Amino acid sequence: MVPTIEGQTYNFINSGLYDGLFVLQDTETETLWNHMTGEAVYGLHAGLNMPISNLLHMNVKKALATDQDMEIAISDRRYNLAGNTAGVAGTYSPDNKDAELMEQFIVTLGPEDQRRPRMDMGLGIWTDSSQRYYPLETLRSEGSYLVDTVDGRDLLVILEPLTSTPTAVYWKSDEVELEGTEFLLSDGYRIQNGQLKNEAGEQVDIDQPQQIFTRWYGFALTFPKAEVIQ
Amino acid sequence: MVHRSNGSLITLITASFLLSGSVFAQTANSFDINRYSTFGAGFFETYYVQETELLREALIGGLITEDTDLLVTKTEKGNLALIRDQMAFHHIAQGSVNGKDWMATF
Repeated sequence: MVPTIEGQTYNFINSGLYDGLFVLQDTETETLWNHMTGEAVYGLHAGLNMPISNLLHMNVKKALATDQDMEIAISDRRYNLAGNTAGVAGTYSPDNKDAELMEQFIVTLGPEDQRRPRMDMGLGIWTDSSQRYYPLETLRSEGSYLVDTVDGRDLLVILEPLTSTPTAVYWKSDEVELEGTEFLLSDGYRIQNGQLKNEAGEQVDIDQPQQIFTRWYGFALTFPKAEVIQ
Repeated sequence: MVHRSNGSLITLITASFLLSGSVFAQTANSFDINRYSTFGAGFFETYYVQETELLREALIGGLITEDTDLLVTKTEKGNLALIRDQMAFHHIAQGSVNGKDWMATF
């Protein structure tokens, strides 16, 4: 996301809840913004959109395989080295299968979409004309991958074996097979530790739709016309 | 059409809702201020990123392990990793690189 509004840097805080999701607020005008779509939903800038980009889940091993020169920012907040989200925040982490929404969240929900359980986890993707949700359950039952077509483009949705996080990439492959921790694709391509590589083992750049690893209620309430792949 | 490469067919269920608002997404037009709550306001602190270091050096230095969960965004300088466990508290990280603002929300 780019927090530059009409040429000025804006500062953002977490101001509360809506649809059970946290709400961004700029401190300059107190406008409320949707943190998923980047749209100003209430206040002076209502209707404006901040440019958005993906925030991808991965572990350090995959990150270094992606980019040896990647940098990291570490705040002074205590954290869990092992990776699992701890404490209160962990209650809502993707790893917690028994998570329940607190009443303070529930009262902010709009009419809920009953096609999936409220706290179901999955990958939501969206483009200018399509919004789809791929439940983790579906990915697991289908052997950790799905091949889809979105806006006429081939989309490969995989559940990464090493991190159990879903990822969607635009890629056409006539064959997909999970072998160990690698996805073998047609023409000698493979996805290894999240990286698409050609037959020579060289990393290939990938194009990805906007995506978010999220709970169902949040995606469904943000994108009420979303299709569910199940 | 959604399909596996082996030809099996997956059911595609198309949404058909009577929810009001945009045909695309929650927007300013559909936002209902009466459902907005300030619960949690002031509890979380935005992380203003001032310093970064190479991920591989942080690994060597024992600040992280290979299994540490990250959230990766792009800035003007390239890929930037944030620790997911920390972002579950901050929810927002923002900074500026070469005069270009960036922000990550989780």
